[in-house]
Amino acid sequence: MANIKEIKMRIESVKNTRQITNAMRMVAAAKLRKAQENIIKARPYADHINNMLRMIKLKNKATDHPILTNVEGKGKSAFIIVTSDRGLCGSFNSQIIRKALKHIEQHPDADLICIGKKSYDYFRKHSTNVTEKYINLFNEMDFSVSSDVAEKILELYLDQNYKKIDILYNEFKSAIQQDIIVKQLLPVKPIEMEDVTNLDFLYEPDEDTIIEEIGRKHIKVEIWRIMLESSAAEQGARMTAMDSATDNATDLIGELTLRYNRVRQASITTEIIEIASGAEALQ
Amino acid sequence: MSKIKLTVVQPFQTKIKGDFDHIIIPGVDGDFGIDSGHTPFITKIRPGNLKLYLGRNIEKYAIHDGFVTVENDQVTIVCEIMERDNEINAKRAQESKERAEKRLKSSSEEIDFRRAEIALKKALVRLGIVKN
Repeated sequence: MANIKEIKMRIESVKNTRQITNAMRMVAAAKLRKAQENIIKARPYADHINNMLRMIKLKNKATDHPILTNVEGKGKSAFIIVTSDRGLCGSFNSQIIRKALKHIEQHPDADLICIGKKSYDYFRKHSTNVTEKYINLFNEMDFSVSSDVAEKILELYLDQNYKKIDILYNEFKSAIQQDIIVKQLLPVKPIEMEDVTNLDFLYEPDEDTIIEEIGRKHIKVEIWRIMLESSAAEQGARMTAMDSATDNATDLIGELTLRYNRVRQASITTEIIEIASGAEALQ
Repeated sequence: MSKIKLTVVQPFQTKIKGDFDHIIIPGVDGDFGIDSGHTPFITKIRPGNLKLYLGRNIEKYAIHDGFVTVENDQVTIVCEIMERDNEINAKRAQESKERAEKRLKSSSEEIDFRRAEIALKKALVRLGIVKN
């Protein structure tokens, strides 16, 4: 039979854990809200750049700028994996790593670029293709941070002459659901939208400069959006995980309290019996 | 005179949304003014002053990068960094100008000249708009 004191200590420690998980849940909820707000704020900017890109691509289908079009005879491809920097967020990271492994099976020679500490920690042990890493960014993320990452990725793309770069990340659906998305980051594929006004624009200084610049801006805003989505999804996953952890702790406390009372009662009964039988022996 | 609609979008906010009489934008090939009925046009922006005229009112902004598209009296500016004249900290701009100049003068190889040059340009634009 378990000791009364032991059970009491156990209850205390579970209560402490519950406090921590509950606090983490609330923090995650606040961060989630912030990330969502940023996603909404970035939308007009991203839409406009997309519009411009599409317009340009419609107009001159023959653009052979490497940011926009696949140039023949290019070499390797690269693969960006976006995870979180921290754990305790349920299956958020393990799911994306599993998906990444499948993708790597299909393209065994692809270079890996890790965004987020968890993917780097995993792939530096399990793969020799990690070429670049960007870790510990999510805690203080603003546009300048993601914009630096985007610039470095672009440089890498042009330097290494990659055929294409795919990106794998979690997209935020709701607090309990994240969708893993694989999509091509470079060369840029503009998203189809409803008809845009196709006016005959004048370009200054010239089309190529404009195309290159818009392409760069597009990548920047795309990386920003992806990092925000991933961060929102991470916080959502953490919220759910911590919510169920708090529930589990509450259940455990209930169970332990029941056991504690039972043990206490048993010991009181034993004591009474001892006293009673002692009194009887005196008579 | 009919007005032009202006929208300035940034990655983290929509900075300006409103109607103006006349707009002066610093393009890569020189400053240009936009009135109602301007021809459809796309250009890159160089660091400089953006001026918005409405009645007798002039709003001045320091703008550092981006694009402008003009179509059917709708002007859209896509930029990452811009500030209104009263948002600029003159002291900080002066400091960063001096810092950038010092870095450009030194001959050490570790310095990223491109970065220093951009920093200097930004500081000069900011100072220019505060002084006027």
